[in-house]
Amino acid sequence: MKLEDATSYTARCFHGDPASCSYACPFRMDIRAFLEKAAAGRWLQAYKTLRNATVFPVVVSILCRQPCRAHCQRTLLGDEAIAVRDLEAASIRYAKNRKPESYVIPPKDKRIAVVGAGVAGLSCALHLAQKRFDVEVFEKEDRWGGALRNHPRFPEFDADISLQFSAVQAEFRFGSGVRSLDELAAFDAVYVATGAGGNSFGLLDSWEGDLFTTSAPGVFLGGALCGASPVEGIAQGVRASLAIEVFCQTGKASPAYGRSDENFCDRYLRHEGAVSSARVEASGPDGYSEEEAKAEAARCLQCDCDRCMANCEMLRSFRKNPHKIAVEVYNDMGVNPPFSVRTVTREAYSCNICGTCRSVCPVNVDIGALLQFSRVARTSAGIHPAALHDFWLREMDFASSEGSFASAGEGKARCDYAFYPGCQLGASEPEHVLRSCEFLRRRLDAGIILGCCGAPAYWAGDEARLRANTDRIRRDWNDLGKPALVFACATCEKVFGLFLPEIQRVSLYEVLAESDDIRPAGPFAAAAIFDPCAAKDDARMQLGVRNLAGKAGVALEELGEPNRCCGYGGHMRTANPRLFREITGNRARASEKPYIVYCANCREVFASEGKECVHILDMAFGLEPKTSVPSLEQKRANSLGVKREIMKKTTGVDFEPETHEWDDLDLVISEEMLEAMDRKLISAADLREAIWLAERSGRKFYDESDGMCVCSMVKPVITYWVQYRETAPKTYEIYRAYYHRMRFRGEEPSDG
Amino acid sequence: MADEDRIWKCAKCDRRLEKRKTVFSYLGHTVAHQVYACPGCGNVFIPEELAEGRMSEIEQQMEDK
Repeated sequence: MKLEDATSYTARCFHGDPASCSYACPFRMDIRAFLEKAAAGRWLQAYKTLRNATVFPVVVSILCRQPCRAHCQRTLLGDEAIAVRDLEAASIRYAKNRKPESYVIPPKDKRIAVVGAGVAGLSCALHLAQKRFDVEVFEKEDRWGGALRNHPRFPEFDADISLQFSAVQAEFRFGSGVRSLDELAAFDAVYVATGAGGNSFGLLDSWEGDLFTTSAPGVFLGGALCGASPVEGIAQGVRASLAIEVFCQTGKASPAYGRSDENFCDRYLRHEGAVSSARVEASGPDGYSEEEAKAEAARCLQCDCDRCMANCEMLRSFRKNPHKIAVEVYNDMGVNPPFSVRTVTREAYSCNICGTCRSVCPVNVDIGALLQFSRVARTSAGIHPAALHDFWLREMDFASSEGSFASAGEGKARCDYAFYPGCQLGASEPEHVLRSCEFLRRRLDAGIILGCCGAPAYWAGDEARLRANTDRIRRDWNDLGKPALVFACATCEKVFGLFLPEIQRVSLYEVLAESDDIRPAGPFAAAAIFDPCAAKDDARMQLGVRNLAGKAGVALEELGEPNRCCGYGGHMRTANPRLFREITGNRARASEKPYIVYCANCREVFASEGKECVHILDMAFGLEPKTSVPSLEQKRANSLGVKREIMKKTTGVDFEPETHEWDDLDLVISEEMLEAMDRKLISAADLREAIWLAERSGRKFYDESDGMCVCSMVKPVITYWVQYRETAPKTYEIYRAYYHRMRFRGEEPSDG
Repeated sequence: MADEDRIWKCAKCDRRLEKRKTVFSYLGHTVAHQVYACPGCGNVFIPEELAEGRMSEIEQQMEDK
């Protein structure tokens, strides 16, 4: 992986970039940071931000025309822009110690001549002197200030210039006009800022404004000589000093590293929830009091995009911005234990991959896609925590093998349409598949393909497994004559769109809504529709469900934040159970109204949360809504039951599920225990196998006082444990069921 | 009977379990811990509290590294 492979996902993100006002500022001052410090009354820090950017803060605070205010995002709310210049004056007034810092830097052996001691020349001279260049300023008059000497507030400017030069060494040659550049042949570079109409030594026509260069190598022009205002001239002096520095180092003028001329002063954000506030007016003649200034600075909206972080529980909980995540995704591929460790694993596997970040981002940055990329890279490199997705991959293997089936219909070899219910719909509620299948047979003469779309492999980042599954589906689809597929599951439809785009996709709900035979009835008079995250870009599926619900006469509420993931997406619950519970709870509380859902996983999440909800297929077929969630073992049984019934109907063949030697063991499991097992993703079938193995091999522990036993079963990724007691022949009561991921590597002699 | 008071015996060796230092490995990392094991066949016993407590914490730390 190259760094750009990861950072390309977040390249457009402008979190942390300057705000729109700063792009309009001639100095690119970080106005947002300045105002944040001012609002907190940290005047010295605010002043330093101002001074470091503007060189002569007093001059700028008096003369700046404030182009920033035209791009202040306060104005989007109808408010007046922040009074930046007045706050600059306040920071100068209230900063306790404005003495410039001096740093111990070794002197440089390059000599720079600055011609003209107006503010443009002075800002260049000051910057170069701060970097310990040997600077000489030539001025034909007997004092500095140039055209500003006639300004009524020149005494303040004069004091400001004196203050800023008080910590540096620079030679001033007043009364020394330069008639020819030949006089300056001993200097390594020359900056000419002789003011409006001043002497350009015949170089003005060859002036290049980007780097202030001329046809004479090493001679730079700027300031009013080139048409700049005093404030622009100061800003040019700073930029020219950087160009001169690069010239002295490399012998040619080129842009300073890290400097960008991009301009995004129209990059505005949506300021939802921001409250309008009027400009604070100064009560006294000398400008803002401290409290007034703090209040005015506090009106700054601190414009910085954090929409993805504000809208996603996962991003909020890890508190990392998109750029940092991208760099960590890259870094994590090249760690060198024990000297470095991975830092983004938990985030990568805690993401629902629901696309909310992309949909709220002004420039469509998709952090989910970045983290999905990380999962794929890790699995490919064999450095993925396999246990986090093991359960679902095993379920996928089951659904794609024993649970799979394809038929064009009774007595047919090919079909134009086939139903693709997905693995979860029938597992959760067999009637949803059986009724839909029968409806589609009547309506479209549709066949059926039972199986798994591959979402577990997709979410696990297991591309090889995903490809094998996709190939299997494509074979079944080809065998049926390439029918259009009718989807009940938005995730299946999305995965097919990504990996089997050649297959035409139709929404079951659309077909149901168009049928006069279907007369939906709802248990609720009013409900909110909970659209699954995978249906985000599927307007036809969303509309079909609304039409069905509308037919049932339900008053529909649209959720404020549509298509949020219920929590199931990305199979993140094993990686981050706490976050999973936070998300499911938040979604259940998104509306007080009961939910109409059309995803089996959403229904199960809300049933577990105790949220009143109904699947749209219950309404379409007049079924009693289920309020419970089947156990993991029951889900497999449901899937096989669906296959048995459909296989019998379409082919007349009795389906014989695989049998195991432990199938006839009876387990007695309390409701409470069953719930705990489901939460831990431990199936009763696993316990049955573990007990059978232990009883056959004798590899178990027992308590002779009451016959309690405990045993383990090591599977490729997980080790399962079960504590049980035989209550009758081949009947076992379950007391504990748990697992761990670590392996014993070997035993060492006991210390005792 | 509370499970922590139980005296487990290995069904194969019919011997009471003893604490032993055992090395666990996960995702290329290793950690040693005192756990009960059969002194005969070495079969290790992990109680639920250990699996879902300290062991789970270490597993997460190792996954994060």
